[in-house]
Amino acid sequence: MITLRQRTRVGVLWCALAAGRLLAAQAPSPATPPAAPATPFVAPVIDDTAGLAGPRQPIFFRHDIHAGQDEIPCQYCHNTVAVSSEPGMPSLQTCMGCHLIISGTTASHRAEITKVRTAWSERKAPEWLRVFWLPQFARFPHQRHIKALGQDGCTLCHGDVARMPQIAQPKESTLLMGWCIRCHVERAVSRDCTVCHY
Amino acid sequence: MSDGINRRRFLKVLGVTGGGAAAISACGIGPEPTRKLIPYLVAPEGQIPGTATIYASTCRECAAGCGIHVRVREGHAVKIEGNAESPVNRGRLCARGQAALQGLYNPDRVRTPLARGADGHLAPITWDEALQRLDEQVRGASEQGIVFLTGHDTGAMDELVDEWLASIGGRRVRYEPFAYEALREGNRLAFGSADVPHYDLAAAKYVLSFGADFLDTWLDPVAFQNAFARARAFEAGRAVSPARLVYVGPRLPVTGMNADEWLAAVPGTEGKLALALAHVIARDGLAPASADAGRLADLLADHAPAAVAAETGVPAAVIERVARDFARSGAPLAVAGGMAAHYPNGAGIVAAVNVLNHVAGASGKTVRHGAALPAEAAGRYADMAELTGDLADGAVALLLVRGANPAHSLSGAFIQALDKARFVVSFATTLDETTAAADLVLPDLHPLEQWNDSRPRPGLTALQQPVMQPVFADCRAAGDVLLGLLGRPGGFRAHLEARWRERHRRAGSRESFDAFWMAALQRGGLYDGGEGAARAARLTADPAALRAALEAGIGGPVEQPMCVVFPHPVLHDGRGADKPWLQELPDPVSKIAWHAWVEVHPDTAAAWGVVSGDVVLLTSPAGAVRAPVWVTPSVRPGTVAVPTGQGHVASGRYARDRSFNAFTLLADAPTAWGGRAFAARVTVARTGDHRRLASVEGNSRPHGKGSVETLGLAAAAALGAADHPFHHEETPEYAREAAEHWADAQYRKTELGNYAGDQPRWGLAVDLTRCTGCSACVTACYAENNIATVGEELLTRGREMSWLRIERYWLTDDHGTPQGAVSSLMMCQQCGNAPCEPVCPVYAAYHTPDGLNGQVYNRCVGTRYCANNCPYKVRYFNWYNYAEVGGAWDAFPDPLHLLLNPDVTVREKGVMEKCTFCVQRIRGAQNTARLEDRTVRDGEIVPACAQTCPSEAIVFGDLNDPQSRVSVMAGDPRGYHVLAGLNTKPAVTYLARVMHADLGAPPPAEH
Repeated sequence: MITLRQRTRVGVLWCALAAGRLLAAQAPSPATPPAAPATPFVAPVIDDTAGLAGPRQPIFFRHDIHAGQDEIPCQYCHNTVAVSSEPGMPSLQTCMGCHLIISGTTASHRAEITKVRTAWSERKAPEWLRVFWLPQFARFPHQRHIKALGQDGCTLCHGDVARMPQIAQPKESTLLMGWCIRCHVERAVSRDCTVCHY
Repeated sequence: MSDGINRRRFLKVLGVTGGGAAAISACGIGPEPTRKLIPYLVAPEGQIPGTATIYASTCRECAAGCGIHVRVREGHAVKIEGNAESPVNRGRLCARGQAALQGLYNPDRVRTPLARGADGHLAPITWDEALQRLDEQVRGASEQGIVFLTGHDTGAMDELVDEWLASIGGRRVRYEPFAYEALREGNRLAFGSADVPHYDLAAAKYVLSFGADFLDTWLDPVAFQNAFARARAFEAGRAVSPARLVYVGPRLPVTGMNADEWLAAVPGTEGKLALALAHVIARDGLAPASADAGRLADLLADHAPAAVAAETGVPAAVIERVARDFARSGAPLAVAGGMAAHYPNGAGIVAAVNVLNHVAGASGKTVRHGAALPAEAAGRYADMAELTGDLADGAVALLLVRGANPAHSLSGAFIQALDKARFVVSFATTLDETTAAADLVLPDLHPLEQWNDSRPRPGLTALQQPVMQPVFADCRAAGDVLLGLLGRPGGFRAHLEARWRERHRRAGSRESFDAFWMAALQRGGLYDGGEGAARAARLTADPAALRAALEAGIGGPVEQPMCVVFPHPVLHDGRGADKPWLQELPDPVSKIAWHAWVEVHPDTAAAWGVVSGDVVLLTSPAGAVRAPVWVTPSVRPGTVAVPTGQGHVASGRYARDRSFNAFTLLADAPTAWGGRAFAARVTVARTGDHRRLASVEGNSRPHGKGSVETLGLAAAAALGAADHPFHHEETPEYAREAAEHWADAQYRKTELGNYAGDQPRWGLAVDLTRCTGCSACVTACYAENNIATVGEELLTRGREMSWLRIERYWLTDDHGTPQGAVSSLMMCQQCGNAPCEPVCPVYAAYHTPDGLNGQVYNRCVGTRYCANNCPYKVRYFNWYNYAEVGGAWDAFPDPLHLLLNPDVTVREKGVMEKCTFCVQRIRGAQNTARLEDRTVRDGEIVPACAQTCPSEAIVFGDLNDPQSRVSVMAGDPRGYHVLAGLNTKPAVTYLARVMHADLGAPPPAEH
């Protein structure tokens, strides 16, 4: 016969394990800053895009080439992130700034860059699929977070974008409220509801 | 379901199912549906998504020409605010200006050119076709009578119209329903020139208003309100006594409501009253004698107080006292207009008041004649009467209309005459009554979408620029159309710039034109022209002419009550009726929304056997209307009053088929001086119908509950810094120990987590001496916080959503006659000990570390316990889904949703909402300060209400900062909290209204 005492012990143990798992899952693991590379990073050739995480975008834009291999800083394209709540999707003009000249070396690269140029000449902006999404009742001021975390604080929430061929939401970055609160608590920053909800 | 389910498990299951349903609905919780991010092709320069770009322009909702700043988010205008650089309004704006956005995004705007087909209906055509037809008509009508009818206008567009008319031999008619004809004619009678002088209200010590509602609807309301607030404000230790206001008129408008005394003269006799006052001043030598007035000695002698007392209904003793106080005040100012100018002898009344000003020595001091105020550009009613005649005679081949809607404010005679015009072209933005009868509609752009300039006052050129791309791409600026007709290349913008190049050249300034132009655009115009030389006006009045002008009466049987038609403060001549914010704004005096009413004194109502809501039939010689009664002591016995603005038979959905059109009661014939008589004798008949009027008035008397406090001037002046006469209400002795124990527990909580450390405590201070009850703050709050309009039916059921309400309490004398009112704002008091916080089961209502009563919309489940507990009743529940696109209660039908402020959540059904002290502005300022590595400065955060208040009655800031303005005001001896005895510890401090007389005694009888 299982006693109440035994039941309680099992219950407490279970709770502890569950809590531990929950905490571990929710704590954003700070990205270890990449050590100075012995050799510069070269973005791999992607043979099979079907295996990649994240939604397929209308133009197969590769952050690992642009931000990783070419080392373009995040704020070159997402240029309002330090001054506004909106990070700013780069305008097509920003893309054409380089791709007016840069046509691509391989056939697949050329195909995607042609899409950019076609979009520009036909005056039809590409409709990117949003990957990081917050409901409208939660406000996220990007500028405050960049101010607090530094110019390269992007990777904390968005993951190692410079190594992503296709943007996907990292498993650790659940974007749920508990995940945000955990970081706020750890860094002793305001947890007041009306900081984000108004 | 297993048996033995207990309550706890039941609620848990309910919660899970509820959560599941929410994930399926569009409320945003749960797996994300696909969302697109569409970038710019070319990012607009200097605009940062997520922040507002601010454009300076000019408000065109009335002729005052206030400078505005328009906040534009992602290419569409979301908020209009005053431009602090404009000397007209100094950064403040009235409700009409705030609601201009709803004209811009009106869902019933005309979107394409329309032409009347063979079947008699207006059908869409292309611009090419439309312009071709216009051209044909212009050519064809060239010799046969072309008339361009506009409203009041000055500046580039106005002059272009004149230029075009000159080129084709046409004629210009200007029409404004309320065009100050009496004011101009009265000035001509008295001073020989028909200009409108500058009234210096800020310098006045005693303002005597004969009908002129200068705080809300007369000439320059925002500027006058701002100036008068400065004259009237009570500052402790101020050496000079605040200005006194006495109002003369048959009913109390906003200005009368704020007066210290109301002289309810018999309608039409105000001029004699003015002469009686002048008589006393001249007789007793209370002011330096003027040579000019010597010619009027006989006239004045005939108007002794005893002689006019019976006719005016004002006792002789009162006339003597007022005259004495007026002349001895040191800076008297009498203004006349509004209702006093509405009778056939209105010009005479104005002239008589001018005589009073002159005799009292105001001329050249508080009244300055100089360069003309453009009220002259408003035309005269007589011109319209003449046009009606010409139309009826078939003498007008082509009529073009822009900025005027005479078919609403003139009688059926005009509409019939309109039919006889061969061709009518309208440039209107909506299908108002005149446009609905037109043959060709060329939809103009809204003033917020087009270029122009104007001259609201001497020395000031206000610029108007488009703040966004046109909402409807197929509308075209009327200026472009006219330039096309003139055969000039380039659009109106180029035309305007060319004029400004000329201005720049004449100014002879060193900087380049580009720098000059950019600077002017950024400031909103050129403001340094100066007022122009003020000249002393000579009183050249001919006594005989003056006598004759005063005699013209309303006519009709004396036993019939006089019906005074007055302009509704926000709907005005009808132009505001299509804006739901303005329709839902309770009238400052009657607190009635969405419907017009007829004001009847309680004694008269008792005699007629009617109560508030009974519908009566008012019949004048010109027409009849069915009007619901509003019984109020703020109108004289035996006189009734009705507001204009409603009763549209065309226009958009918010205006159409609503209430009655007060203009129907007015006679067609112009007065002797070319104006219109806005009064008529009426018969009143009960119809037996009853209509529940949508009113948000709780109670018209304060009942000693402490909602409003007043202080006599002597008592206020005697207060020392440590005196707090209103604080005795807080925490009665028997509750002190319990309160302290509770306070201790709260204090211990403030050491926890977020609540520890130095935090601001946001607070508000409202000075009731300044507040006039104009309700501009209410509309600003609607605009800033995405508050839904609920419509008349829901308003009668008490479902109003306005976070900020103006409560108006009458102050009565011993006879129960109102001698003014106190208006108070009531919004969430952000209580330190909030009754609403402990009762929320889901922690949606809670106290923030910085002193706000936070309301988290996404946590709220709609138990409404918080609203139940709130003693101020300032929490509002979304009973219906006002944000559902295309839903039955949709408050923002396309494109009205474009005015929604992206910084504020749009609430769904089932969610409680309330004033947040504009928390989005607080957080925005804190974000900016953090980016600049500093703390928020005092005065940096300005909630929408405080920003727009023309009287500067509202101050916001950090109560924990002893140097902030709000802290100083909160510590003012006049300060008090509403319902302080409930120990709610509100963050809003009200400063008691300082009255010249010690009014506020409990009234003898209830109404």
